[in-house]
Amino acid sequence: MSKLIKKSGQIKNIDLKVKPVADAINRRAFLKGSSLMAGGAALATTISPVMMKKAQATSTSGANTQQIRTICTHCSVGCGIIAEVQNGVWTGQEPAFDHPFNKGAHCAKGAAIREHGHGERRLKYPTKLVDGKWKKVSWETAINEIGDKLLDIRKTSSPDSVYWLGSAKHSNEQAYLFRKMAGMWGTNNVDHQARICHSTTVAGVANTWGYGAMTNSYNDIHNSKAVLLIGANPAEAHPVALQHIFKAKEENNAPIIVIDPRFTRTAAHADHYLKIRPGTDIPVIWGMLYHIFKNGWEDKEFIRQRVFGMEEIRKEVAKWTPDEVERISGVPVNQVFAAAKAMADNRPGTFIWCMGGTQHTIGNNNTRAYCVFQLALGNMGVSGGGTNIFRGHDNVQGATDLGVLADTLPGYYGLSEGSWKHWARVWDLDYEWIKGQFDNVAYSKDGKEYIGEHDEKDNASHVMNTKGIPVSRWIDGVLEDKDNIAQRENLKAMIFWGHAPNSQTRGVEMKNAMEKLDLLVIVDPYPTASAVMHDRKDGVYLLPAATQMETYGSVTASNRSIQWRDKVIDPLFESLPDHTIMYKLAKKLGVADQLCKNIKVTNDEPLVEDITREINAGMWTIGYTGQTPERLKLHQKNWGTFDFTSLQAEGGAADGDYYGLPWPCWGTGDMKHPGTPNLYDPSKTVAEGGLTFRARFGVEKDGVNLLAEGSFGKDSDIKDGYPEFSGEMLKKLGWWDDLTDSEKTAAEGKNWKTDLSGGIQRVAIKHGCSPYGNAKARAIVWTFPDPVPIHREPLYTSRHDLVEKYPTYEDRKSFWRLPTRYQSIQAKDYSKEFPIILTSGRLVEYEGGGDETRSNAWLAELQQDMFVEMHPRDANNAGVKDGDDVWVEGAENAKVKVKAQVTRRVASGVAFMPFHFAGHFQGKDLKSKYPEGSAPYVLGEAANTAMTYGYDSVTQMQESKCSLCRITKA
Amino acid sequence: MIKPIFRIKIEQLVRPVFLILLLFVILLQNSHAIDTPQQQGISIKNPGSDLWREVRQRDTAIQGTTQIKSVDSNVLINPQADRWTRFRVDKLINIGFIVLGSVIGVILVFFLLRGRVKIEGGLSGNMVFRFHDFERVLHWVLALVFLFLALTGFTLLFGRTLFIPILGHDIFSLLASSSKEGHNLFGPIFMVSLLMMFISFVKRNIYEKGDLTWLLRGGGMIGKSHVTGGFFNMGEKSWYWLVILIGFAISATGLILLFPSFGQGRIIMELSHVIHVFGAIILITVSFGHMYLGTLGTEGTGESMKTGYVDIKWAEAHHDRWAKHCHDNNLVITADEYARLQGKGKVGYEPVSTTAGESGK
Amino acid sequence: MARMKFYCDAERCIECNACVTACKNENEVPWGVNRRRVVTIKDGEPGERSLSVACMHCSDAPCAAVCPVDCFYTTDNGVVLHDKNICIGCGYCFYACPFGAPQFPMDGAFASRGKMDKCTFCAGGPEEDNSSAEFIKYGRNRLAEGKLPLCAEMCATKALLAGDADMVSDIYRKRIINRGASVLNWGVSYNNAKLRS
Repeated sequence: MSKLIKKSGQIKNIDLKVKPVADAINRRAFLKGSSLMAGGAALATTISPVMMKKAQATSTSGANTQQIRTICTHCSVGCGIIAEVQNGVWTGQEPAFDHPFNKGAHCAKGAAIREHGHGERRLKYPTKLVDGKWKKVSWETAINEIGDKLLDIRKTSSPDSVYWLGSAKHSNEQAYLFRKMAGMWGTNNVDHQARICHSTTVAGVANTWGYGAMTNSYNDIHNSKAVLLIGANPAEAHPVALQHIFKAKEENNAPIIVIDPRFTRTAAHADHYLKIRPGTDIPVIWGMLYHIFKNGWEDKEFIRQRVFGMEEIRKEVAKWTPDEVERISGVPVNQVFAAAKAMADNRPGTFIWCMGGTQHTIGNNNTRAYCVFQLALGNMGVSGGGTNIFRGHDNVQGATDLGVLADTLPGYYGLSEGSWKHWARVWDLDYEWIKGQFDNVAYSKDGKEYIGEHDEKDNASHVMNTKGIPVSRWIDGVLEDKDNIAQRENLKAMIFWGHAPNSQTRGVEMKNAMEKLDLLVIVDPYPTASAVMHDRKDGVYLLPAATQMETYGSVTASNRSIQWRDKVIDPLFESLPDHTIMYKLAKKLGVADQLCKNIKVTNDEPLVEDITREINAGMWTIGYTGQTPERLKLHQKNWGTFDFTSLQAEGGAADGDYYGLPWPCWGTGDMKHPGTPNLYDPSKTVAEGGLTFRARFGVEKDGVNLLAEGSFGKDSDIKDGYPEFSGEMLKKLGWWDDLTDSEKTAAEGKNWKTDLSGGIQRVAIKHGCSPYGNAKARAIVWTFPDPVPIHREPLYTSRHDLVEKYPTYEDRKSFWRLPTRYQSIQAKDYSKEFPIILTSGRLVEYEGGGDETRSNAWLAELQQDMFVEMHPRDANNAGVKDGDDVWVEGAENAKVKVKAQVTRRVASGVAFMPFHFAGHFQGKDLKSKYPEGSAPYVLGEAANTAMTYGYDSVTQMQESKCSLCRITKA
Repeated sequence: MIKPIFRIKIEQLVRPVFLILLLFVILLQNSHAIDTPQQQGISIKNPGSDLWREVRQRDTAIQGTTQIKSVDSNVLINPQADRWTRFRVDKLINIGFIVLGSVIGVILVFFLLRGRVKIEGGLSGNMVFRFHDFERVLHWVLALVFLFLALTGFTLLFGRTLFIPILGHDIFSLLASSSKEGHNLFGPIFMVSLLMMFISFVKRNIYEKGDLTWLLRGGGMIGKSHVTGGFFNMGEKSWYWLVILIGFAISATGLILLFPSFGQGRIIMELSHVIHVFGAIILITVSFGHMYLGTLGTEGTGESMKTGYVDIKWAEAHHDRWAKHCHDNNLVITADEYARLQGKGKVGYEPVSTTAGESGK
Repeated sequence: MARMKFYCDAERCIECNACVTACKNENEVPWGVNRRRVVTIKDGEPGERSLSVACMHCSDAPCAAVCPVDCFYTTDNGVVLHDKNICIGCGYCFYACPFGAPQFPMDGAFASRGKMDKCTFCAGGPEEDNSSAEFIKYGRNRLAEGKLPLCAEMCATKALLAGDADMVSDIYRKRIINRGASVLNWGVSYNNAKLRS
């Protein structure tokens, strides 16, 4: 086998007397010409002087054209954009050829981003629903009325009755401010799109080895010798990522393996395609691992040094024989074997997944299985390997990191008293005051009972410390009997701040919930379906927010790099940037001074850079501390100096840094840590961006050492595993005196997460150690419902015969404050009435809930009809031809009317719907309900109207990738 | 022919190809079996190569899918396009010139040689009524519209070759644009007139005994033997049916070309275009003959469409059975009577029998 | 003199439609007119391949040959352009083009065609370079600024190449050679997995 690996090395060394292959992709010399006469030297010799004539006064490229650098807002790749603005009007868009992530490339959405400057279907001014009609109101009126209502609800119900639903499209500063505001208000009912996107990833991955983010980067895929994608379709969801994957495919001969129920556009370019039954990821992954263990292909040394619990995994994997794998998932042994062998033979290989793997009741099992697979092969902590998780929206990574979540504060500190106290210090506020903002109720530690007033002796958890209601369940917060909810009252007010409703399941119930609310507020550049899907007559406010093109701030790409956006144009119409709206609202609610205590505010707009600095002051856990606004702006100005593959600057003003200072960027900005491009890579020193696995789960379990054995970072002074650093530990190691006096004051009694001076981190790194310790990754998570990831059938399964062997969980009385059903739903067999498996996914032209992109004429023209993909066999059975209108009825008796697209992409018995459409509801066209002039160009049914109940056993992620339906001709 | 988009110089490929072959040989040496259960593999050669083989064959339009909703937007390459273009540019225009030009030439030569076909013994002056007002108006409307369509059609077909050198691009563009609009506007008018023409004359154009003989003898042009004909002789009947049938074809294809918004693809349009132009050329060519015969070519014919009356001698010469019918039914009027009708301004409707003893005023 | 050409690498094209929207963006092309489109063959089946198609700026352009008013012209760089002032909207160029590049806004009586619009290789038209008249009629003139068509510049995977034909074919040739080294291994699911190394 090694002989064969060497051969590929030989291929590269053969001198074919052609220019280096890098030029095949790097067309810089050939194509650069974004500034008037700068590039295009090759071109100059070939174009006649007539063509090169300089622009005239009326030209579009005159001397008064500003070139503004920003980042696309449509996905987490974070493509660079150069916007050309003349007199405040956005007139042109040039490719950013030297941007390290995309090299000027875009997908349909990025190529159309200039339409944000047109904004014809935008929400133009604050609007209120009065007696069923939309009425324009002023900002003052809107804020006052909303504020009054919120304060009223606070008094008559509780602060927990207001739901603050934030956004993955906020900048980091806005996301942080939003989370802080929810804390100032006094509730943990705050969440955003990550819940329904990668929450299971974050939970599963973080609980395996410390951080729950993409471990390497899109660019690092250039070094991969194999690429495996499961439940991911980057050809449509992250097209520019394909640029990097193709580089691996063409230059490294990397086999591309795609595991998906659909033959996606990505699969069309793959070498191996495994068609699985939706929801059967575990059988396939364990099936692959079966062959790996059986043939001894696992990396035994790596496992010995850096992995805990692989023995338990082996036992589980041994049950997944080829026959069982095929029986459950439908994938025959030769394909599973081929995929396993391809990954084993071609290391390092990278593992990519998206919603296909995460949106299940066993999502956290899936994500952990993926991690275990890579651990088994030793593909972690190496360039070209890793678990490269492609996140969704442009700043879902940032919003997640900044804690716009119901179960944590910024930086994943959690909701414990210690966490609140840490942030109270950062926010320079009195902890007791913050606590006083919360409702004064508590629950017993197991969260199963509601107890009246807070009582220390009952070992109760104050509602300040218990997880709030997640966005996937907000409707139950309204509709469920309040005695069953672990908070005082139902939700009465819902604030959709940059979040669409049609990305959550159970649309019919959502309509009811919206109608039951006392107040519905939508803060968004577009009305979204929240404005129209209900039949309310009043109590709805639409506040126009500015897009990210009309403000500035930082954004975190999926690879943890933080990029700085400059403002392209002023906010259109009467819209305002989100942080300005937050401040105005905070003023009305009486918490503005606390919200922006150390943040300068001018004309109600908090200074973005001050917010960044506050983030830097408090986010020690994941190293958001070194990315000061100055460093980030420097990177933006010099983004051309960063290497395409390694992302490191060679020379130039940011010499030595990795682009965007990917977190963890340890210590204070002064320490000038370069960022960590690949997580858990011990081949570099921590100071150079290397890292070990985090010591997060204790030092030993069942008598087994949880710290790393014999594996440690380069130049580490401790030549073995070690726990996380604290002031005490520094003293024990004799490194205490390396701290400066002021650092000593701050570090006394603190650890690497709570030392606000950053001294503990600095000293640990000085000695070559990771501040968070050096431990083993754990293949089993003993705090999760399934410590060893196992397969469980979906709640609505087409194979009810398998439920006996692979049942779902028991129903839970109180989980994230709500009763959550599992077994009681799976008990009934729906597969006869609803014989087709329903799954959902993305289209390249649209993003998320879709109102923004469907309001862009250039994109909307390309996808004008909502559709369902169905196999010819199912179409023939239903008497349906391609293009016919059909009813897709979900198993909970909601139905949607869509066009049938008969295709072999899906297997027989499986149907696929894109989830980006909204504006029709169960056959009814809601166009007339939109405020004048702001209905998107294209409307359609929301796929999630027909999607059903089902929530992940750890994070409440919705199960929207495997439900059941029946399809009939309309 | 569409030339290939880029050319690879052969010599540049030799080394890489050789090295690839060498590689192939080397790699083959290293194959060895793996022990695993179940060896049968699924081997798919690069599916792209089959696809492009299909595309290169290019006999039929290669259809795919696309997000753009437009006519033929899902067609990758239309192989007919090239054939049609070359046909129109290289052949059709030339054929048109040749056919039209040569027919004019033939008629000219014929006229020079044969001269005007006169009535034996001259015209008598005794007239017989032939065509109603309505029929004559219809004929002229149809004729004028037809001429207009022919001229505007010519402008579009031959204009580039003939007029641009004279008028220049800008002026010709104006001319062509108005020709196109005019052609589009009058096309439906032509269709309506054609339909009415059909209805008016169809009964008189049904095949009768003796028509075939007429045809085979070239209407009397071949040899001196006498040919017989009814109200319309076979010559006119042939012309009638030619106009109707080809006119119908031109109308149908014209409609297809006129309304592109019904999703008809390019192949239908190209075919329609060819039929339309061919039909038009044939019709115009034969219409030269018709126009010649109706004016210079034969004596006494033009009057039928101008006044509605024809000389009885003319009728006897060309439409003997109809002439007999007129005689039998006392439909012939004298010259005086005819003059009177003309003077009164009435364009003759009620023929007066000569035997009735009507005398002129 | 350089000959400007497009080339779309079907092995890389993922039908992301960036080229389509980039063109609409840069040239403000209205709804209903699509200068560029992506056609996918064998959609949903193994062997699915996509190609981005627009005017190919043929050396011997059939559209130019067939135009009744001769409104086409080829620039020194081989870019095929036309004059909308002269165009009469007859549609023959659309029939003549194997790629269906000419587009027509439907805005006349009887849904007759307006002036033809097509990809200009971002080289504008006969109006003065970079003037607003040129922009309104033909879209942006990037070539005059020393740039290349935006569709190719923004292609997500660098599948669509545009520029001097020699350089384009050079780039593509290198890609072929690069891929050629693994030509045995494409699309192989299992049996020849060993050759993958």
